[in-house]
Amino acid sequence: MFRLLFARRADWAAFTIACVLSLTLMSLGRERQERTAWFLQHTVLAPVNAIVGWVDAGVGVYWENQKLKKRLAQVQIEVDEMRTERVENARLRRLLDLSQENPSELTAARVTARSLDRLGGSLTIDKGEKDGVLPNRAVITPDGLVGRVEQVTSHEARVLTLLHRDCAVAVRVGRSRVDGVLQWEFGERPVLNLLYVSSQEDVKKGDLVLSSGLGGIFPEGVRVGTVTRVGIAENGLMKEVSVKPAVNFRSLEEVLVYLPSGSGRGPRMPGLTATAPDSAAPGVAAPVDSAAGKATP
Amino acid sequence: MKSVRDAIVLVVVLILQGTLANRIAIAGVRPDLLVAFVVYFAWMRGPVSGVVGGFSVGLLQDLDAPGPLGLNALAKTVVGFLVAKAGFRVHRSNVGVRFFFFLFAMLVHDVIYFGVYTGGELGAFVRQFVFVALPSALYTTVIVLILLSTAEGFSRTLLLTDEV
Repeated sequence: MFRLLFARRADWAAFTIACVLSLTLMSLGRERQERTAWFLQHTVLAPVNAIVGWVDAGVGVYWENQKLKKRLAQVQIEVDEMRTERVENARLRRLLDLSQENPSELTAARVTARSLDRLGGSLTIDKGEKDGVLPNRAVITPDGLVGRVEQVTSHEARVLTLLHRDCAVAVRVGRSRVDGVLQWEFGERPVLNLLYVSSQEDVKKGDLVLSSGLGGIFPEGVRVGTVTRVGIAENGLMKEVSVKPAVNFRSLEEVLVYLPSGSGRGPRMPGLTATAPDSAAPGVAAPVDSAAGKATP
Repeated sequence: MKSVRDAIVLVVVLILQGTLANRIAIAGVRPDLLVAFVVYFAWMRGPVSGVVGGFSVGLLQDLDAPGPLGLNALAKTVVGFLVAKAGFRVHRSNVGVRFFFFLFAMLVHDVIYFGVYTGGELGAFVRQFVFVALPSALYTTVIVLILLSTAEGFSRTLLLTDEV
């Protein structure tokens, strides 16, 4: 009869048996259930548990590894941000120091655009006429002279840097007080040249070059650059002097526009201390190194 | 060949349930891959295999479950049987059919499980059903469909075919 039942209704028979078994197990007393479960756990389930435990440990390590990698990436991003902020902080602090030294003469501006050429002949800043910026105002950073304002709108201004041929600066060699004009020349070797220096004048490699204040645009005593090469022109009358600018024009982000308040002297530049007698006016830091007029580090 | 494949799938599901299910819980809702396996197994292999598979898997689960011994076995036996009977002529390759079939089967399982587990107390049963069974069934269904389509994509054959 069972055989007949299984042959014709195997599904129902299996279902009935499974249900009866389940209900029987459920109806067992708590103690017997625990004993049965314990027995099955240690026979049937033991290998399964072992495999699951083994895989779980592996998955756990993998999972933790993934989490730690993610955390590491986050920390790395935070560290990078902090480094960037630290550099920006130092840069802004130097600007602030310079600005506080000369509160009525300088206004800070952010560089909003650069000229498209690789040499960086001009910049656009976010300060304009409404901020008191006018054409032919000197633009500086704590490192030195940047250039002059060329055109102004109400909220923006275009700045010609020293690397523009239309931005000539009257300068003076700090050590020997030799005057000249610094101008960008795009010849075979595009460099800043110190012009009109006779072959008899005392100019040496490493001399600091400062603005002389002649010409009325650039204030006196602002660091402009350092002499990198001194030679004699073909005619033998003049010296050929190359100057490396003090400012790195490629990485300019903030600048200060000099708004003269009537003194006629340049702002007190950080890194420069009192020096030669003719430039050491009371209350104004003189622009060159005390001993030899060399660039301070 | 089929038995070997089923055994491998069961082992994989057991491992996934023991390892991954806890880690991918969302707001305390864990997927129950073993019910899904019973549904898949019964749907593919018919009533007898469904009943035997459901009972065995349920009993395995009972050994670690807080409820009375045999409760999972009973619930999964019933689900295995019903799925095999009801899913006989259903288009198993259709994603929509798969979704509703898995979801419905899991809800039937949970109705039996929580019905007995709560001892017929309606409030407790509704709470368990709404806050545990329903989200778990939905979550499990979605995971199973993803796993199925992934496995079918790799093997380039339908694991749940329309062939009877």
